[in-house]
Amino acid sequence: MRILLVEDEKKLSELIERALKAERYAVDAAYDGLSGWQMADAYDYDLVILDLMLPSLNGTEVLRRIREKNHKVPILILTARDATEEKVRNFEAGADDYLTKPFAFAELIMRVKALLRRGPVIRSSVLRVGDLEVDRLSQQVKRAGKRIELTAKEYALLEYLATNPGRVFSRTMIIEHVWDQSFEGLTNIVDVYVRHLRSKVDDPFPSKLIRTVRGVGYSLGESVEV
Amino acid sequence: MNSRSLSFRLVTWYASLLTIVFVLLGSVTYLLVRHYLEANLLDIQARRAHQIADTLVDSIARTGGAAVAYEIEDLYSPEANDRFLRVTRDDGHLIYASGAPKDRSFVPGAVPLPSLNRSREFNRKEELAGGDLLIATVPHRVGEHRYLIEVGVSSAITEATLDDVVAMLAVGLPVAVIIAVAGGFVLVRRALVPVDRIARKAEDITQHNLSDRLPVVRTGDELERLSVSLNHMISRLEDAIQTSKRFVADASHELRTPLTVLRGELESLAQDPQLKSQTTETLGSLLEEVSRLSGIVEGLLALSRLDVGEAQAEWVPFDLAELAATTADQMSLLAEDKDIAVVCEAAPSITVEGDRARLKQVIVNLLDNAIKYTPRGGTVRLQISRQDGFAVLDVADDGIGIPPEALPHVFKRFFRVDDSRSRDKGGAGLGLSIVHSICTAHGAQVEVSSVLGKGSRFRVRQPLATATHSSI
Repeated sequence: MRILLVEDEKKLSELIERALKAERYAVDAAYDGLSGWQMADAYDYDLVILDLMLPSLNGTEVLRRIREKNHKVPILILTARDATEEKVRNFEAGADDYLTKPFAFAELIMRVKALLRRGPVIRSSVLRVGDLEVDRLSQQVKRAGKRIELTAKEYALLEYLATNPGRVFSRTMIIEHVWDQSFEGLTNIVDVYVRHLRSKVDDPFPSKLIRTVRGVGYSLGESVEV
Repeated sequence: MNSRSLSFRLVTWYASLLTIVFVLLGSVTYLLVRHYLEANLLDIQARRAHQIADTLVDSIARTGGAAVAYEIEDLYSPEANDRFLRVTRDDGHLIYASGAPKDRSFVPGAVPLPSLNRSREFNRKEELAGGDLLIATVPHRVGEHRYLIEVGVSSAITEATLDDVVAMLAVGLPVAVIIAVAGGFVLVRRALVPVDRIARKAEDITQHNLSDRLPVVRTGDELERLSVSLNHMISRLEDAIQTSKRFVADASHELRTPLTVLRGELESLAQDPQLKSQTTETLGSLLEEVSRLSGIVEGLLALSRLDVGEAQAEWVPFDLAELAATTADQMSLLAEDKDIAVVCEAAPSITVEGDRARLKQVIVNLLDNAIKYTPRGGTVRLQISRQDGFAVLDVADDGIGIPPEALPHVFKRFFRVDDSRSRDKGGAGLGLSIVHSICTAHGAQVEVSSVLGKGSRFRVRQPLATATHSSI
């Protein structure tokens, strides 16, 4: 899988490159709009990550040119501006997804994976993390064969964490997925729900699955060190 | 009427000046009339004296003093005509002196004798006990003697005319002043009507409707110039505020990229399992600060977006009561965590129009605020009701309350009641100003009342959706 990254902020570009390479993607980086367009024109990429504010050729123009030539390649837009109007305009111009800075890297990786998996997405109805089972059809949760009763929100939270075991989800990501944008900035609500979830999912069992990464967020996984 | 108002002051000045001018004019008129009347009277007396001198005194050498006196008495009968008449020779010999007049206005004997050696005729006014006497004196030479013929009349005649003049002035002057003042007052009032209109419009202009302008009356006068200058000033203010708003938006945008880098670097560091626990702690603390910084940047951006009116992006009718109930439900765990009861009392189907997500944020922020500042075991009450054309949303708590001096500021950006009580609660001081901006964008009003130690109440009043819209 080969990804083209067009981002003029050197540091951010390096950071994204590193994060993507850690996920075993091949990454080519371009630092301005024109070279970004030339690279997209010359090679077949599986995904283009495109910043909107670029020198020499702005992101919207690069997006337009790529779309003119190649209809298939998924394009993920990175932007510091998130006016709804602009968002709509870029989706119309052929963007597949849109990520507003500052974003959590976990979010970026998840979006990238989602875009690359597009097409036949196989999603098993039962998510398994260690001895935890989350049945997405019946919305039932079992741990070590024992059923756990959860409220709707607790279930939504657990299911979201279980979609990517081991990955750390930021509170903002959790709020956006489990609640909605109106709750932005109300990050303590996540802590309260995680605490409740823990008391049901972790407390009765010897091994703990929900992990707190201070300052980052929460993850669900088998190996618990802290 | 306000004694400091421009119209009052103008009219007062105008009236005082007018009175002074009228009094001066009246005095001058009075003096002129008196002078004219007296001069006229003296002229008549002088002519009479000449007549006496030419016809009677001239022949005194032939006829003798007694005959002259008899002739005068016979021809002029001064007593009957209330006149004073005296003929004196220059050696002091009295030829003739009239007796007391019929009206007893003067005593002839009390009139002093002028110096007898004057050779030219002259007029004088003698002030006597009974009144003034106007006397014309004509010297007349006959042979080696000079005779002084004095003819006088009481000034009472002129006094009567002058009294009429004074009476006319005394009545006419105040009437003229009153008419002039009333006219002036009406004129000033009319001239100042635009000032009133400008003032009222200027009152209405706040930072939210700076695009409005003052009315300009095309009269070409000072008021037109004033309103045009004020409008220019408002334009400059509008520009300045626009610039500052754009600055906030641009600055927030610019901060986002470095924040992303900062967060990304720290996150990738924090996930290194070989770090010492102290380092992990520090990284965690740094990440928390980055989150707070991001929160502030997001809040500022949200505010600047509301400022430019982006809230109208998704304008739909929806049920506010239902939205409030579900939001309260979603936040109930947050309240339960502090043993706070959230009581939601919503009247059925209250339809308003607006951006649903934004209005939800109003409810979320108000509830969050109430829960934050209510101690363990308290109650937060959420009420939605209908009040003459408005949907009213009340969020009341029995928490710590807000001191009265802080109440007018709670909706200002970055305002904190006091630093110690909210910083540890994680507030950036933007939540309530976001509430305020969203409400303003929706044509809603938000107000707060509070009793320190008893609790606070936030009330949002939003116009109900019109029937045609709510049925769609």
